[in-house]
Formats: sequence, structure tokens, C-alpha cells
Amino acid sequence: MLLVVLLVQSLAPHGSDAPVNSIAMLVYDEQPTDSFSEKLGGAVLNALVFVIIVAIVTFLLVLLFYFRCTKCLRAYMGFSAFMVLAYMGGGVAVLLIQSFSIPIDAVTFAVLLYNFATVGVLAVFFSKMPIFVTQGYLVMIGVLVAYWFTMLPEWTTWVLLMAMALYDVVAVLLPGGPLNMLVELAIARDEDIPALIYEARPTTRYIASLPTSPSAVSRNSSASGPAAVATRPPPRWRRRVTTTPVSGNVANLVTGQPAAIDMPEPARNNDNVRPIGISALRIESQVPEQSGQQQQGVGGLLLNNTNDHQENGPAVVERWTTRRSSSSDEEDTVPLVSSQAQALIPPHSTVIMDGVESSFPSAARSEAVNIEALLEDVVGNGESGVLSGAIKLGLGDFIFYSVLVGRAAMYDMMTVYACYLAIVAGLGSTLILLTVWRRALPALPISITLGVIFYLLTRFIVDPFMVNLSTHYVYF
Amino acid sequence: MTLAGGLGYALIALGPGIALFFTVIINKPFLILTLIASVLSWLVSLVLISSVWRGFLPGEASAWVYIPLLLTAVGCQEAARLMFWHLYLRVEDILNKIAVRLSKPRLHAVDKFEIALAFGLGHGLAHVIFFCVALLTPSFGPATLYVNSCSQMPFFMMAALTGLGFLLIHTFSMIIAFDGHAEGKKSQQFFAPGMHLLVSFSTLANLAQGGCVYGVSATLSCALVTSAVCWKIKWDKTSEDSLPPSSSNRTHH
Repeated sequence: MLLVVLLVQSLAPHGSDAPVNSIAMLVYDEQPTDSFSEKLGGAVLNALVFVIIVAIVTFLLVLLFYFRCTKCLRAYMGFSAFMVLAYMGGGVAVLLIQSFSIPIDAVTFAVLLYNFATVGVLAVFFSKMPIFVTQGYLVMIGVLVAYWFTMLPEWTTWVLLMAMALYDVVAVLLPGGPLNMLVELAIARDEDIPALIYEARPTTRYIASLPTSPSAVSRNSSASGPAAVATRPPPRWRRRVTTTPVSGNVANLVTGQPAAIDMPEPARNNDNVRPIGISALRIESQVPEQSGQQQQGVGGLLLNNTNDHQENGPAVVERWTTRRSSSSDEEDTVPLVSSQAQALIPPHSTVIMDGVESSFPSAARSEAVNIEALLEDVVGNGESGVLSGAIKLGLGDFIFYSVLVGRAAMYDMMTVYACYLAIVAGLGSTLILLTVWRRALPALPISITLGVIFYLLTRFIVDPFMVNLSTHYVYF
Repeated sequence: MTLAGGLGYALIALGPGIALFFTVIINKPFLILTLIASVLSWLVSLVLISSVWRGFLPGEASAWVYIPLLLTAVGCQEAARLMFWHLYLRVEDILNKIAVRLSKPRLHAVDKFEIALAFGLGHGLAHVIFFCVALLTPSFGPATLYVNSCSQMPFFMMAALTGLGFLLIHTFSMIIAFDGHAEGKKSQQFFAPGMHLLVSFSTLANLAQGGCVYGVSATLSCALVTSAVCWKIKWDKTSEDSLPPSSSNRTHH
């Protein structure tokens, strides 16, 4: 979000004059001189078209998943990742070069861009890269798509955000929704959903005595891997919520997986990080170093991330696939839930998805952890000085949050801060809802709604108030 | 004032806040959550206050409007502080229960201070962000800005210094208030709202021509007083018990 704000501020501080022609503007091309109702009507139409296209493509994806042609999915995702990095990345780079008058020639630029894009695709899909590279590229992809979206005209952007939030709710919660179907399929088959998640490396330090195994092996992994009881048959995939490193430790909430995961692939990330403190009560078995088994702590919050559709110019919906084996990254979760809380978790309730689809809403079941247990984890870890739970969030969610914040940046920084706080609040409440409702929840709607509300309030009410007070040097 | 200038202003206002954040809060995720919740509540109270007063914004002529404005604003925020206190009581309860369940030490005095600090720092940071940092954007450019009533220092400097004062005041008065409520000491309980009111009204001095010097000095000295009081409280409290929580099996007094 920070990067998008910076980009917006340096490149297009008041909105772009020539909004990009994209699929979202099929129906109505907004002009600044149009009347209020025209703009509103046009924006609604645009948003409707966009959502319909996204829905169609999602159904297509579900179909593809149903017919198990994962090769097509992966190829497609690789292709679209490359397109984003090369085409959009190139566009933004050109804008930056123009804006800051960086001296560079066309040939060098082409070579660099090509390399950048290819490495990006490799990093995102084929892993075996240092985690920072992968994270960096995921962030870049998110930033680029979000920036591209902010180039849409203003009304369309806001209405689009609201429409996507609504679509998210529908797609995830209604039984006929594509994401719901996808989740059901994935659960029924006990397979990974091809998806892209962003996972933050836990940035807090570990207690020195925790052994950390090299976790750079798998793509989306971070060091963790608590050993805990395996009390039930291993589900094949898990999902978690994550925050970007930018938002730092903000939402380093607990996540943990309740069961051992059986992974056939040898290249699993096996981490033996164990926190002292709570887990001292429960550590039973060591995670075998090179085996495919990994045991995880119990209880966690699974944030369902839903949605991300991004459409860019070429009407391409991007989706990113993860490797199947990257489910080894559950690891950074430390078993934060105590044994009492473990008992609270009903068996088979852990549906954890390995990757979260970044291009289409993905649902996840939440683990039931009551607030006490949650606090327990958070506090317990705090006391032992370790918080190693990183959370994962689908990339598309980040993209839409960034679009919102980027748009807010086009007005003033005050709206940016207000919207940022609103989004964080939305995320927090979604997490809490997750523990209460124990089912798949869309991550977008609450945050986007709060964000839009705060934007409007800040822009029209708070900002003039604040400016008046500060310029008169009256504070409270 | 260029990038360096702008960053400088931000650091003046935020310096101690950032230092407090990175030393105390960042290690404990619970405190981070508390901080964010408190920032949010400050923002909500700000939205409420501004939605009421937006229509009556005082100008040069009607400066007296500031008085009821400040009264209501401070009142609103002090109400938020009381709400925090009640919330804190419940949280403390839950945390102690958890601690007992895990056979860990209950909340130590230092822990309580830390939680109060997180609440207060949230308020303080929110104040600084919205009253100062959000307005610093023009300072990254090549020029600067002076306000008519204050030719001694640029607008940004004034905002930064006052912001610094308020950050400290908010942070420490929350600790003082929590401690006062816990111990039932009336004087402490009223110290926080009282200081808040005092400081806000002293900023009114800035309205007068050349008054900003006094305003800033008043704010900063209030900040000093608040930090001194808070320091004294902490000193008294922690000299009774021994220090931190890593010593196990120590029950709270």
C-alpha cells in the first residue's frame, strides 16, 4: 500500500488526465465535465460490466479446476504474471523514467525489463528462491496491478471497489457462488487450489534457542514449523491470512495448523522452530528433518480471503498458481494455542488452503478459536517474546486495498491515513468474525466498506475541520 | 522545504513516539493490537467531533467558537479514555484468567503500564498523524509556509512541536489516568482530563499575534509536567515490586 501511495504521489497526484482504456471502461467513458448523475450512472454500468466479466472468468476457472487441467491453469498464470510484470511494469517504469529524468537507453531498458519479468515468473511459480525475492515480486505484482487500477477515472474506481466487495460476499457466501464451488471442489478432492498467496515472514525475532531449519527452500515459506500433536488425519491444504511486511507486525495474529500435513513431495520445508513458553507444554514430537511430514500446532485463524479479481487492459484475469508443495509453508506458525484450546477445535474442521487464489475469491474455513484462546496465543507469545505466526492473505485482496488507498492518495495524505486505518480495522474485524462464524468469509467487504466510508467522511468533513484548526494553531 | 526538511518535521513530531513504539510495543503483538485499536478510536472520536463542528467552523472574527469546540472535543476524548479504562478492566480480567490457566504469572505492574502506554501512545500517534504529519505534504516541496499570526516559525515547525507535546501528553496521561482509576486516587483521575483541557486552551494563545511562542512553550512544558508525574508514579510503583515478568510464579500484588 505504501508503494502504491508513493507511486501515485510521484506520478499522478491528481488523477490521470488520460485514463487508460481498459475493460472496466467498456460501457462508459467518464469525462470530468459530466454531470453528477451521468457519472454515477456510468460508473455503475462500468462496474457491473466488470463484475460480470470477472464472474464469468471465475466460473471458467472453476470449470478448469473441475476438469483438472492444472497445466492449463499454471501455464495461464505464468503467462499472465509475465504480462503484468512486463507490460505494466514497463509502463510504470517508463512513467517513472520520464518523471524523474533517469538517463537510460532503450536497449538496456528492454533487457532489464525482460529479465525482471522472467525472474519474476520464476520466483512466483517455481520457487526455490530466497523468500525475499519471492515476496518482493509478489509485492511488485500487487503494486503494479493496483497502480494500473488507480488510473481509472474516479467515480468508476469507487463504484468498482464497492461492486467487487459485494461480488465477493455473493461469490463466497452463496452456495451457487463460484468461489464457494471452488472451495467445495477442493475440499472434496482434497487438493490444493491453484492460487497465489502472499505470506509475510515473521519479522519478530525468535527466541535464540529455537532451531530454525533453512526455509528458503519452498517458495512461500517462512521459518516456523512447530511441532505439535497430530491429532487428526492431515488435511491437504491450509490457508492463512497474511499481512505484508509493510504493515509489519500489525496483524501478526495467530495462525496454526492443527494437524500433520502429509506431503508427498520431498522438497518440503521442514522447520523445527518451536517457541518456548506455551509450546513447552505441548511439544511432543520432533518434526523429522527430511521427511514429508510436518506437524503443526493447533488452532488458528484462517482468514478467508476472497477475492481478487484484477482485470487489466487486456481483459485478462490473472491468477497465480502455487506449487502444490508449497503447503509446507504453514510453518511459520507456532503452536500458539494451548492444549485447552486444542480441545476446542472440532476434528476435521481444518480446511486449510495452501494457496489463496489471488485472482478469484477463495474461501476458507476458519478454525474455531474463541477469543480467549486467541488472546492467549497473542499474549502467550508476547510473554515468551516470540510471535512467529505470519498470516497469509490473497494477493487480490491486497490489490484492492491498495487501489483504495491509492485513490485516497490522490486527494490528500489525511485520507490515506484514515483509509489505511479503516482497512486495518476491517481486517481485524473480519478475523474476529472468522473465529466466531467458523466458515469461509470474504476478506474484502468490511474493509472496503469501512475504507470508502472513512474516505468520504475524511475528505468532506474531517479535512476542512483539521485544516481550519491547524492553520489557527488550535489543537486538542 | 525539500524532502529532508519534511522528514525532519515528521521526526520532530514523531521521534519519541517511534522510540517508544520500537522499544516497548513492537515486541508484543497484543500491544500492537491495542495501539491500533486506540488509534482507531481516536480517529472515530475525531470524525464525530468534526461532523458536529464542520458547519460552524470558526474564522478570524468568530474565534470564540473555539471555546465550546475545544470543550466538546476534549470532553469527547476524555469519554473515550473512560471507555478505555472499562475495556482495559475487562481485558485485564481475561488476561489474568488466561495466565492462571497457563500457569504463568499474572499481570505484573509493568505489564499494566505497558498496556496503558500502548493505549496512550495510540492516542498520541493518532493526534500527531492527523494534526501534523498529514499536513506535512507541502513541506516536501521547495517552499515553506507561514501563518499570519505567527511570523516566528513556519507552520510546519509549529505543528511539529505542538504535535510532539501532545504526543507525550496523551501517552503519559493515559498511564496516569489508568493508575489513578486503579488506585482510586481522585487527584490522578482528574489529572488527565485537567491537563488535556489546560493544554488545549493554551493553544488558544496561538490565535493572538505572536502568541505562538507562548503557546508552544506552554504545550511543551505541560508535556514535561505530565511526563514527570508519570515517571514519579512508575517509580513509586515499581520500587515496591521487583521488576519484570520473566520471573515466573510471581503473583501480582
